[in-house]
Amino acid sequence: MPQSSSIAARSGSQVTDTFATLGRRQEIALVLSIFALIAFFSFTSDYFFTVRNLTNVLGQGSLVMIAGIGVAIVFMSGEVDISVGSLQAAVAIPLIEVMNATGNLWLGLAAALLLGLIVGVINGYLSAYVGINSLIVTLGMLFILRGGVYLYTGKTAIPDDAYLESFFVIGNERFLGVVPYPALIALILLLGFMYVMSHRPFGRKVYAVGGNAEVARLAGFPVKRVKFTCFIISSVMATISGILLASRLGSAVHLAGIGFEFQVVAAVVLGGVSLSGGVGSLLGMALGVLILAFMSNGLGMLDLPTEWQLVITGIIIIIAVAFDEMKRRRAG
Amino acid sequence: MVSEVSAPPKSASLVGALVGNNQIVLVAALVVICVGISLAVPQFYSSANIIAILRQVAMVLIVACGMTMLLITAEVDLSVGASLAFVGVVAMDVINVTDSVFLGALAGIAFGALVGLVNGLIVTRLKVNSLIATIGTMMILQGGVFLYSREAIQNHHHLPSFVDIGAGYVGPVPIPVIVAAVIFIASYVVLRHTTLGRYLFAVGANEKTARLSGLRTTWLKLFAFVLTGALVGVAGLILGSLMNAGQPTAGRGFELTVIAAVILGGTSLSGGRGTLIGTLLGVFVLKVIDDGIIVLQWNQDLQMIVPGVVLIAAIYLDILRRRADAR
Repeated sequence: MPQSSSIAARSGSQVTDTFATLGRRQEIALVLSIFALIAFFSFTSDYFFTVRNLTNVLGQGSLVMIAGIGVAIVFMSGEVDISVGSLQAAVAIPLIEVMNATGNLWLGLAAALLLGLIVGVINGYLSAYVGINSLIVTLGMLFILRGGVYLYTGKTAIPDDAYLESFFVIGNERFLGVVPYPALIALILLLGFMYVMSHRPFGRKVYAVGGNAEVARLAGFPVKRVKFTCFIISSVMATISGILLASRLGSAVHLAGIGFEFQVVAAVVLGGVSLSGGVGSLLGMALGVLILAFMSNGLGMLDLPTEWQLVITGIIIIIAVAFDEMKRRRAG
Repeated sequence: MVSEVSAPPKSASLVGALVGNNQIVLVAALVVICVGISLAVPQFYSSANIIAILRQVAMVLIVACGMTMLLITAEVDLSVGASLAFVGVVAMDVINVTDSVFLGALAGIAFGALVGLVNGLIVTRLKVNSLIATIGTMMILQGGVFLYSREAIQNHHHLPSFVDIGAGYVGPVPIPVIVAAVIFIASYVVLRHTTLGRYLFAVGANEKTARLSGLRTTWLKLFAFVLTGALVGVAGLILGSLMNAGQPTAGRGFELTVIAAVILGGTSLSGGRGTLIGTLLGVFVLKVIDDGIIVLQWNQDLQMIVPGVVLIAAIYLDILRRRADAR
């Protein structure tokens, strides 16, 4: 079974395990693709390989990266979460409304996080404890949140009237004038969760539960609680990305985040995180995000219609997953 | 809970089949909703409104028939909304060039079937999970339709027979409703009364067992994909005809409505379980609610929230009932 051997690989007991080397090889392949992309686009556009543009790409990719951490962890536990795009739009409303009312950034952030937590608890409870297929739960949540946003805003944007300097800074300014704050936040969260996933018991539990829930249950893992926690992580990560997006847009926009869930899923599977659970790494996910971000930035500089980005992203996802599947079968 | 009956029992009577599923609940819900709305707004049961509901139901039901079979084989297709828009554009373009509605319709349906074939090949040959594969083709189609045409393609020759596909009537019955009824009945017969139908259930319930028993599982799945694609072609023609144009932005979110209706009807996402009667009821419940929100003059944004709540609540109740049965 590929799942059980990947668990073994995680615990490091089998040095020669094919899947460990496969995983590493995949990450190397992703890094090489990024270099190839950078080389290609540097050739096609003079502006591409500048510090300003490369850091811009990091800034653009960071929202997908932050939400991708949560979605990847949910995938690893063997579930899915496609409500992150709607949640991104939804959390901006309490954030902006509370800031407008109180003039306090922290109260606004707390309100946004509260909504994110509630959504995470509902998704997690219905999926993990009640046992409803998580695709259905989060599909329903996608509808409910988007409809709720339309209903509340009357299909317009709610502008930020508090004009808090600190709120503007988190989405738009650069740390030391170089690294965009969203990219910095994404990096910190990424490193933190990479540590948790590979060096903390929780990470091992997620892989075990996603690899084979029944075996994990018999081995004494709290399967439901682990999955529940994964959904909460996912919603909180989507909330953080929603807060940064609201800062960038300077308002709660009713159309924000439409199709965002598909971008995130694309990056996650491109990074080698399997939909069937138990495999993949956050590093792979991050590399997947970077590939898509560089691609979209570089293609934007060629004089191609923007829709090519969608088409090429779609093709890449299919090829990447097909290739991944082929390797796995050959190894197994 | 684990070992559900995978195929419908052959000898079961219609009543027995209804009681054995969540369909009684759906029928009851449908009756309550209809009576409730009618009491509040009498024009709900006017013939004009009923025909409007039926036409809405028809579009979704046509694709839902294919999607039900696809879910029964344990696969899913998220590209149907994007394909729906593309079909309309292709059909309109061919009609404008050839001046023939027949050729346009043929091209539209062939395009839909081709999309289904590509989806099916990616899933069965390249072994890509169908959820991911069809997210990929959805993106390709969404981008592709804009690269193909940035604006809506109008019916240049003003051919009235194209308008008839969506807006025409045979007697008092709209043509799309007749088309949907024919497709529904044919699908029902195939799924319940032919070996092909039983094989589809077998593949979805346990692909490995089905393969070891000698079924050509990849061909069966390919069939379900191509059928779903071709039905998207039919629905796309109707939509294009109703707008009298090929509109690249049409069909957004259509895939979610179709899947919600099918799941609401009791078809399992994990394959091997599902009925077309359930799908029919699921489509009706969603579309009657949709229509009710309009005639009650409620905020139309509720049209997104209510189906989401209904979907989750329905599955929740289903699970609760099955747990109670197991006790």
